[in-house]
Amino acid sequence: MTSPTSVTIRSFQVGFGDCFLLQFNYASGEPRNVLIDFGTTGLPKTLATTPKVHMPLVAQEIARLCGKDAGQGKKGKLHAIVATHRHKDHISGFATDGSNGGSGAIISELQPDVIVQPWTEDPDAEEDALRPTNTSRATPSARRRRFTRELNAMHGVAEASVAYAQAELRKGAGAALSIRALGKLQFVGEDNVKNLSAVKNLIAMGKRRGARAYYVHYGSKSGFEGVLPGVTVTVLGPPTLEQYDKIGTMRSRDDVEFWHLLAGPRTAAARRPLADGFSSNWSRRHRDMSGRSPLPPQSRWFASRLGRLRGQQVMEMVTALDEEMNNTSIILLFEFGGRKLLFPGDAQLENWRHALQDVGDGKEAAENVKHLSDIDFYKVGHHGSLNATPKKMLWEKLVNRKKPVAKRLRTMLSTMPGRHPGKTGGNSEVPRKTLLDALKSDTLLLSTDDLRKAKALKTTDWYQEITIDAVAAKPGN
Amino acid sequence: MTIERRKAKVLVSNDPTTHTRRDRSERLSPSPSATRQMTVIAQDPSIRTDGKKSRILMSMVRVPAEILADGPRGYRVHIIDYDATTERFFGAHTLPKTLEEEPANWQRGDPSIIEDFRFHAQNVYALVMKTLARFEFALGRRIGWSFGSHQINIAPHAMVDANAFYSPADQGLVFGYFAGEDGQPIYSCLSHDVVVHETTHALVDALREKYMMPSSPDQAAFHEGYSDVIALLSVFSQRELVESLLCHNDPTARKRRTISPARLSTKALNASALLGLAEQMGREMRTARGDALRRSVEIPARAQILDEPGFEEPHRRGEVFAAAVLSAFVEVWQGRIFGVNHASEGLGKLADGRYSVRRVAEEGSEIADYLATMLIRALDYLPPVHVTFGDILSGMLTADMEIRPDDSLYQFRKRLTERFAAYGIYPASNRKDLPGIWNPPEHSLSYERVHFESMRSDPDEVFRFLWENRQALKFREDVYTRVLSVRPCMRVGVDGFTLRETVAEYYQVANFTLDELKDHGIRVPPGLARLLRDEPSRRRDTAREGSGHDDHDEDSGPDADDESLTRTVALQGGGTLVFDEFGRLKYHVTNDVLNRERQSRRLADLMRFGYFRPRKGGGALTTRAPEISSMHRLRSRDRSQTLDEGW
Repeated sequence: MTSPTSVTIRSFQVGFGDCFLLQFNYASGEPRNVLIDFGTTGLPKTLATTPKVHMPLVAQEIARLCGKDAGQGKKGKLHAIVATHRHKDHISGFATDGSNGGSGAIISELQPDVIVQPWTEDPDAEEDALRPTNTSRATPSARRRRFTRELNAMHGVAEASVAYAQAELRKGAGAALSIRALGKLQFVGEDNVKNLSAVKNLIAMGKRRGARAYYVHYGSKSGFEGVLPGVTVTVLGPPTLEQYDKIGTMRSRDDVEFWHLLAGPRTAAARRPLADGFSSNWSRRHRDMSGRSPLPPQSRWFASRLGRLRGQQVMEMVTALDEEMNNTSIILLFEFGGRKLLFPGDAQLENWRHALQDVGDGKEAAENVKHLSDIDFYKVGHHGSLNATPKKMLWEKLVNRKKPVAKRLRTMLSTMPGRHPGKTGGNSEVPRKTLLDALKSDTLLLSTDDLRKAKALKTTDWYQEITIDAVAAKPGN
Repeated sequence: MTIERRKAKVLVSNDPTTHTRRDRSERLSPSPSATRQMTVIAQDPSIRTDGKKSRILMSMVRVPAEILADGPRGYRVHIIDYDATTERFFGAHTLPKTLEEEPANWQRGDPSIIEDFRFHAQNVYALVMKTLARFEFALGRRIGWSFGSHQINIAPHAMVDANAFYSPADQGLVFGYFAGEDGQPIYSCLSHDVVVHETTHALVDALREKYMMPSSPDQAAFHEGYSDVIALLSVFSQRELVESLLCHNDPTARKRRTISPARLSTKALNASALLGLAEQMGREMRTARGDALRRSVEIPARAQILDEPGFEEPHRRGEVFAAAVLSAFVEVWQGRIFGVNHASEGLGKLADGRYSVRRVAEEGSEIADYLATMLIRALDYLPPVHVTFGDILSGMLTADMEIRPDDSLYQFRKRLTERFAAYGIYPASNRKDLPGIWNPPEHSLSYERVHFESMRSDPDEVFRFLWENRQALKFREDVYTRVLSVRPCMRVGVDGFTLRETVAEYYQVANFTLDELKDHGIRVPPGLARLLRDEPSRRRDTAREGSGHDDHDEDSGPDADDESLTRTVALQGGGTLVFDEFGRLKYHVTNDVLNRERQSRRLADLMRFGYFRPRKGGGALTTRAPEISSMHRLRSRDRSQTLDEGW
């Protein structure tokens, strides 16, 4: 087994989420299979189904494509899993607790040899978490509590925002925000709520005898070294805090954690101040102080406006949190047979900037840009949002855009319009229309959004598929 | 003591709101019956009195006297203690009528006040009114809120949030609270700088309503940077606090109330006063707000700094502005202590070769106060739209020159010019005889057909003046024009005489097609050209959706949603007219609607920042800047809103 002759990339219909199966095909021997993300936060209504039903079916299809054939006693094999970051729309399918119909168990049975996650997911990260530990098997200790606490705080804020959205939705016409806005708030909040079952399964798969977990960062080993013969995999992101402190501005210079301030006191972890207010003691004390005064007439208008403002602030907080979590996303470049495939997960500008603008005082970054300029395939970042495909740093440098069809840049987009509220302080749709226009005019685009229009859902309608041959062979799809 | 020294003491004593100077400035201040004193927290609950760590450092401020209704509710402010998170009203608070009636624990700074919502109401009421009075006194006139209502709504415990902000649409100031590291609530309404910062946003909006609209990076930075500076100078104008900072980490100074010369160098004052304050401010609040003071002090002076990508961000850029002002503050302060070029003696050493802490602190607080006055008065000398840092510097220099023509004694204007230049900020005015000061009108003007008295209050009369003199003033007559305000004011001069001026602003806007922009020599970035060329049907695909915010229709031209304006973009301009007491024009600070260079830069900036959007249903392109709450949140996370890489 030398170098792959081709790669087949499938982007599964998971609504607003990502699920990419890469099959590296070799002249001799079985293909090598890599699953990059498996999650959803909502399916198109046209599918008339739910994640509990749909995700196990997708998992079974993945298993089939990986060689599972129960009739012939074949178990199938997944060689590697990449969970680019911990958002629900990227990992919920790995859950085994029934929230997605147990789809994670089907994936586990494929016995992946390598589990690749960003360094921020390392369960044994040091307390200060400026960089990952050398091995995922280091002894857990009190040192990691601080890091865990910060992530938990972010989840706490997300949980509170979901609780807020649900409470407002129950009010109906009296809600502070529109039903549509609350729906989006709930969506982003749920995407950021800790998916414990999926996280545990990813850890468990990495600890399976014969398997190994890698927690990667810019410039680190990818973990694919022994898994994909003839394929070079480069990790371009995320940077560690040491490499690039912009990615971790949640960590202030005084080590007061921004998200912890919003999540609430650790002594009352069960409470959600953002949704419910402070402790019952606090509430009781101030309620008594006020004597339960009714709102005077001249104060009612402003009180009502405050309710609306609160909704807007919660929306801003959870969107900001979402962006920060996206920036922990892995960016991977696969190279084989003269081909280059770029998978950036949901990386946002700060993550990209390190690799393409700042690293090595700009010199190494310039080399990275040059190296990426002739990529053959691009997985569109963050479902086609405003800020995930850097326009000047990356897009304008891609030389295979607008080339004749045979040589033109291939792109794949997994998205579902109308779900995501866009960027903090802004008003931008996802997928971004201007980006979609550019993808359609300059590249050969395959989007899962086109799949939902299929009238009769057949197995082959579950994914977009493209095959890219090594340069020596004839390119095609 | 020399004659100059005595003069100098009077010269800076013009703040009626801080009690430490009342002994010197009574003849310049409103009569005592017009004001009253109230106890507030000097900065925030984390700054404690020397030697008694359990007591919060308190201060007394002087505010306009009035008979408050419960709330408290006064003639300009209405505190509504409603919490949107718990949907609970904490009651209409009744404040003590006099200083003597205040509970002893308030004046002692007993930590129990942290949970006393009645005190919170007094703290926020007093600081908002102090700031309002500070602006009104400096400008010599009443200031109405931008939203038309007489009273601004204030929610001291608005919601659980590590944020505080001004919201013009909601006619109010919103102060959040959140959990500190120990789980105890942190109340943003108890932080002096936070309350003054938000009030300054509201006051700037009241005086320059177009500064909230998207424009140059400087204008985007102006609201934050200016509010930072006014807030910090307000904190430093409290002598008690400056004294405490000077004694911090200096047991000898604390014990003997004297300080060694070595601790009064520029570097040492930076460390003790500025960074010292930054250190002592509540850590949680600093995290929530972005630690403006420390960041400003630590920005190194570089002439090209504003061209660096990191400083295009509004909050970072605003910190450069703050850095320039604060470094000038320290230099002038040091000059006052040691004397400048033999023109003044300085404070003079005591017998032991040291300086009196109280006198050093008084000088510091007075300079802070003087600079605040200069900054506030500068607002009257700024263009009504598309302001730059260079405009602000010229506005400050002109405001100061008008009130204090001789700069030789303490060289405020010289030092400001030098410090701003160190950060690459130069006056917008090219005047040669008085560098940095705005130019007088170029040509002789006609006053024959206008009435002096009406010119002091009537927008139509001012418009007539503009129209009659449109050629001499280079007033663009072929665009929509509205006189936004006419404000007579009476400022108190250095020697006690009154300086009467009338300040009027007019605003102009017109919509242009791509071809018209090119005809006028205005460069159009490719992305904007595409938007202006696109078919209306396609543009609707990306049209701005309703989001609860109002588009600034006037900023996109009158009737901006008219279908006929599709494929156009609005350019804005205007001018500020400053008339002397005889109704003669002294200054005309203007931005031409068709100024090629400025408008080309602005279109490029707005395009890079992603502000242009088609309008649903057709009409001119719209623009909308982020809300102040969003700006603060981006700042606290040090996040970028730069969209130059975005779609």
